Amino acid sequence: MILDLHNHSVRSDDGRAKVENYCQWIRKRQLPLDGFVLTEHRQFDTESDYRPLEQRYGLRILKGSEVETDYGHVLLFGVTPELTRALDFGRVDLPLAQVLEQATRCGAVAVPCHPGRSTVGMCAHVRERGSVPGVAIVETHNGGSRGNETQRALALAQELGYAGVGGSDAHIVSHIGRCATRFPRPIQDEADLAQALMEGGFEALSWI
Amino acid sequence: MDLVDVAALKAQWTGFSFDRSEFEVRQEDTLAFARACGEQDPRFLEPAHPEFQAPPTFPARFVSRQVLPKGFPRIGRGMFDAGKCVFPKAPIRPGETLVAHSRIEDLYEKTGRSGPMIFLVHRMEFENPRQQPVSVVDWRLVLTAGAVR
Repeated sequence: MILDLHNHSVRSDDGRAKVENYCQWIRKRQLPLDGFVLTEHRQFDTESDYRPLEQRYGLRILKGSEVETDYGHVLLFGVTPELTRALDFGRVDLPLAQVLEQATRCGAVAVPCHPGRSTVGMCAHVRERGSVPGVAIVETHNGGSRGNETQRALALAQELGYAGVGGSDAHIVSHIGRCATRFPRPIQDEADLAQALMEGGFEALSWI
Repeated sequence: MDLVDVAALKAQWTGFSFDRSEFEVRQEDTLAFARACGEQDPRFLEPAHPEFQAPPTFPARFVSRQVLPKGFPRIGRGMFDAGKCVFPKAPIRPGETLVAHSRIEDLYEKTGRSGPMIFLVHRMEFENPRQQPVSVVDWRLVLTAGAVR
């Protein structure tokens, strides 16, 4: 199963894409995606119900989050109500160690995203302050990467033994499907996605 | 540079109303706007059409007399436009004069490639001469800050 793990809808302050428009684009362009994850900025969307869209377009649509930490931005998969109580998703200075600890405790998975990006990526922070125990996966392939940001991310993953995933970081419709992650088995829901990430065996994909 | 306490700023200023402005909706302007947007719909292009009206995003061109309230603290080196989001409520008819009320809808922080930023959402609520709401425009402004607490 191929899932694009990093996308934003109009629920994010800078997102300009409606979720149904992502579905239409995927089908119209015949993109090789089986689904995608909405990782809205600094929040977890408990209101939207995308099951009708899943059925109409035959796509898996899951919800995660992108939070901001002292080591850059981090994707959260398998977010539970317990995790939303444990972390203030709205903060921009969450300690990465705390995010990792609470995610693990709540059965979720924390994945530092676009690590090669300046300021909001993990690479520069690791160089300055060292690595943080508990990181196992980073987003090596991000659809919004510029210059040598992907190379920096891949080098970090190789140096520290991290697994890599891919996500488009789409904010507009036509950017979905630039990067994704192939899993060796089907993913049913958010908790199953977290479980699949813990199991390993996935592969980051990029079409840019 | 001084630290900016965004939570305190948000608590103090969110919901604060600070401006009332009037805007004349001139037919030549709505037509020019429609053509510039590449509109094809005759409702926006043909004054003789029974439903002739301004394009839905037309109010995005209007700027209130005050962008920020008097007394709002100066933050960082200045600010820049981060875009407008328009929520159409009812048709806007050329020839009408709209009244817009401004308030601070939200204040929040985020980090980007260039570092910490504070976003201010300036909401303008437009109503027509019959006091019917016709549009809500959320105007995001980035207040550049060197340090955020």
